[in-house]
Amino acid sequence: MFNNLFKKLFNKIEIHTIRTKLIISFLIIGLLPILLSGLLSFNIYRGAINDRISAYSQEMVNRMERDLEDYISEIETFLSREQDFYINQFIKLTQANDFRNNRKYAFRIWEDFNNLKQMKPGLEDIAITFQDGRRISSYGTYNIDLENFRARMYSDSSGDISFTSPYTNYLQQEVITIVSSYYPEIAEENVLISADIDLDVLANLTDFNLGEKSYFLIADQNGDIIYHPNQELIGERSLLYNAGFPDRKLNLNGEQYILTSTFSYATGWYIISMASADEVEAELNYITDITLYMTLVVLLIIILLTIYLSSSLSRPIQKLQELTHRASENDLSVKIDTSGNDEIAELGQSFNKMIRRINKLMEQNVREQKLLRKLEMESLDNQIKPHFIYNTLDLIIGLLENKDFDRATHMVEALGKFFRLSLSHGKEMVLIRNEIKHVKNYLFIQQFRHGEEYEYIIDVEDHEIMDKHIPKLILQPIVENAIYHGLLPSEKKGLVIVKGYRENKNIYFKIADNGVGIPAAKVEEINKILTGRLKTDDQQKYFGLRNVDQRLKLMYGGSSGLRVESVEGEKTTVIIRIDQRGGN
Amino acid sequence: MFAQKNRLLFVLIVIIILPALLTSAAGAENIQANENDEEITIAYVPRSLDNPIFLDAFEHAQEKAIDLGINIEWVAPFVYNEEAQIKIIESLIARKVDGMVVSVNNTPEYIDVINRAIEAGIAVATFDADAPDSRRLFHIGINNYEAGKVTAEGLLTVLENRNIDYNQQEKKLDTMIMTGVRGALNLDSRIEGFLDTVEATNIRVQDIVENQDSVNLSVELLEQYLQQNPEIDIIFFVGGWPFYVPAEALPNFQQWSKNGGVAVGIDIFYDALLLQERGLLQYLVGQDMATMGSKGLSTLYNYIKYGAEPREYIETGVEVADDDNLERLLQTHRPWRVK
Repeated sequence: MFNNLFKKLFNKIEIHTIRTKLIISFLIIGLLPILLSGLLSFNIYRGAINDRISAYSQEMVNRMERDLEDYISEIETFLSREQDFYINQFIKLTQANDFRNNRKYAFRIWEDFNNLKQMKPGLEDIAITFQDGRRISSYGTYNIDLENFRARMYSDSSGDISFTSPYTNYLQQEVITIVSSYYPEIAEENVLISADIDLDVLANLTDFNLGEKSYFLIADQNGDIIYHPNQELIGERSLLYNAGFPDRKLNLNGEQYILTSTFSYATGWYIISMASADEVEAELNYITDITLYMTLVVLLIIILLTIYLSSSLSRPIQKLQELTHRASENDLSVKIDTSGNDEIAELGQSFNKMIRRINKLMEQNVREQKLLRKLEMESLDNQIKPHFIYNTLDLIIGLLENKDFDRATHMVEALGKFFRLSLSHGKEMVLIRNEIKHVKNYLFIQQFRHGEEYEYIIDVEDHEIMDKHIPKLILQPIVENAIYHGLLPSEKKGLVIVKGYRENKNIYFKIADNGVGIPAAKVEEINKILTGRLKTDDQQKYFGLRNVDQRLKLMYGGSSGLRVESVEGEKTTVIIRIDQRGGN
Repeated sequence: MFAQKNRLLFVLIVIIILPALLTSAAGAENIQANENDEEITIAYVPRSLDNPIFLDAFEHAQEKAIDLGINIEWVAPFVYNEEAQIKIIESLIARKVDGMVVSVNNTPEYIDVINRAIEAGIAVATFDADAPDSRRLFHIGINNYEAGKVTAEGLLTVLENRNIDYNQQEKKLDTMIMTGVRGALNLDSRIEGFLDTVEATNIRVQDIVENQDSVNLSVELLEQYLQQNPEIDIIFFVGGWPFYVPAEALPNFQQWSKNGGVAVGIDIFYDALLLQERGLLQYLVGQDMATMGSKGLSTLYNYIKYGAEPREYIETGVEVADDDNLERLLQTHRPWRVK
């Protein structure tokens, strides 16, 4: 399926060169896993960072909520005090305008309230406020606008404690006030006991480092800001308020923030963390940059490797293609420079070997053709020697004159077959059957010519070899040598035996005669020349033997060829070995 | 004819002037009514809340405020602290009170804040401790130089009664002076009056100890000093800071007194009189803090309400406590601490 897809893709964008295909394939194979794994890792890391930031922000606001509630709880514990003798006395005497007796209680309350202030950082003032606005606090006695003060108050969930929105207190400090009602046993009028909390306490509670742009704020149930790092916003309705402060990502003044909030039931306040997305994602951006740079580096490396690999792979193929093309245009001088042990190198080596083989075969063919033509010519020259022809024709005429028509007919027939088989219609290879026939015709003619001074025997044991092909004119020159150099010089009754057989997939022919034989030294010289151990400049020397031997070696390799054995004055045997495994 | 003309002129004058006079009178009544309708707030700023010497002023200022029908505020840091006190005065400026009566030092910081209050339209007076270099309206208190002088004269009387020769130049009477802070004009004047009076005697100032206007520190410093200098002959307390503790809290002081030490001081209040009764103090000169509270308030009220220019210095006078009137004073002064 992918194969088809690639094919379509390559065809569509007209990419045909192996190099381009390799580059694209390598790039896709190399880049795809990297990009996928990079993207996956990045997303996993991004998710983890976001989770971590959300968890951290949530933990921070939860911790702030706990700290705030602990702080407020301690203040509330003080404000929700049971009946206090000194306070009761002070209230009673104040209502009675008994300043003379009341001053010691006033002093005691100043002292108590200041001691409490010292014990609780951020507690700016503690006060008892009467219904007419008179107030005694750690700073003395003074009056406040109670109506205005009450307008700022709102109750917590229990209704026992009230909080005010941020305002400027008596000492011109930005505070929020926690208020509780106190009902003295000895007076009808209830009073308010209140504690002013410095907004800096809230700042300290929110003093967690989320980043330069990140911050915390505190808002009441209506979304009115109680604490904000930008003090100008304190008291205003928060733009973030949306029926509460649900966790979300939002854009504020062109900045992306991650809002995390929690609600304090003890105070009725929202504690809100505004984590700058830029700062949160700064680490992500760093990872993104790293991932991008690494991807680019890897991409560059892959591209370079791809180009190198595809070039190293395609260059020999291109060279091979080019040389093959040149070879196809009959330039067989081409050769590939191969290095390495890979398939391409092996292919190049095989190409070189093939070209060498073709050259060798062509040379061999040319040489063989030359030899064959030369032999044919020589053979024909020998065979159509006037003497051979005239003698043969005289014999035929004699037979006709003696009205021995049968033998004359046989002679004419034999002579015709002899010449026809000698030519073999120009074919180089002939069936052994026909080569045997050719030798028989030749021996028949020569036997008749020489007055039947010798006999001949053709013995082919393995008839299966009869259908094998061998180069033509292999046997006849040897038989001719046996007659002329072995039998005719001898005075005894001659015999020529031509034997054919097969042994170990080799085809053997033995041409033996019982003629005069050859001296041992000469036999040794002939064999040395035939095996190449001895060179001779005389091209005519042992021409027939050398011709047949060389043709066999050319055709069937060095293991094929001729070997001569002889016992001087007794016999000579020429053994022809045709190694079929070495054939072309 | 002339009479007719005069009659006609008179009628014209009456016609023209009478409505103007009626309008003017009605306007004056309106202003008066407006002023009556406005709630006047006057703040007292003592040096600190923890110094009970101011409680008499606190008590009588409140009573006077009821009489005058105005709001009285009494605000200060619990323990004396210049910065905190100035901050409180600034908060009063921000709240635009009608007037304030402050006990301060004659230092640039106090002078500056008083002048700023006056520039903001607030009437400012001083009590107890003055800042005469400021543009404050008036000061109510004692003649501190005179108080120092009276204290010195009382000391000499005590020495005479004990047959101690304060003119014998061969043997000096070593004296330690305990004050609040140097630079407080009232305290410095008291020291000056004291020293001028004893100048011709053999009374020699060995040390001046500053207690930073702190009751607790004054007790600590006194006990330490007497431990290290038990041979000192005389102690002059420029103010009554260490007199707020019972005699049992001053063992070195008790022992020193038993050994014949003579202590005199300024400020009379219940606890100081108890110490005098126990023999730890021999002569006291007191300020009339009650008058500072009541008269200071009424004077400033009259200025705010009616524009009545006060005298720059209002002397409240001093009282002395010696063996002759100690029993009576113990009955008229009241304890300030809750028992």
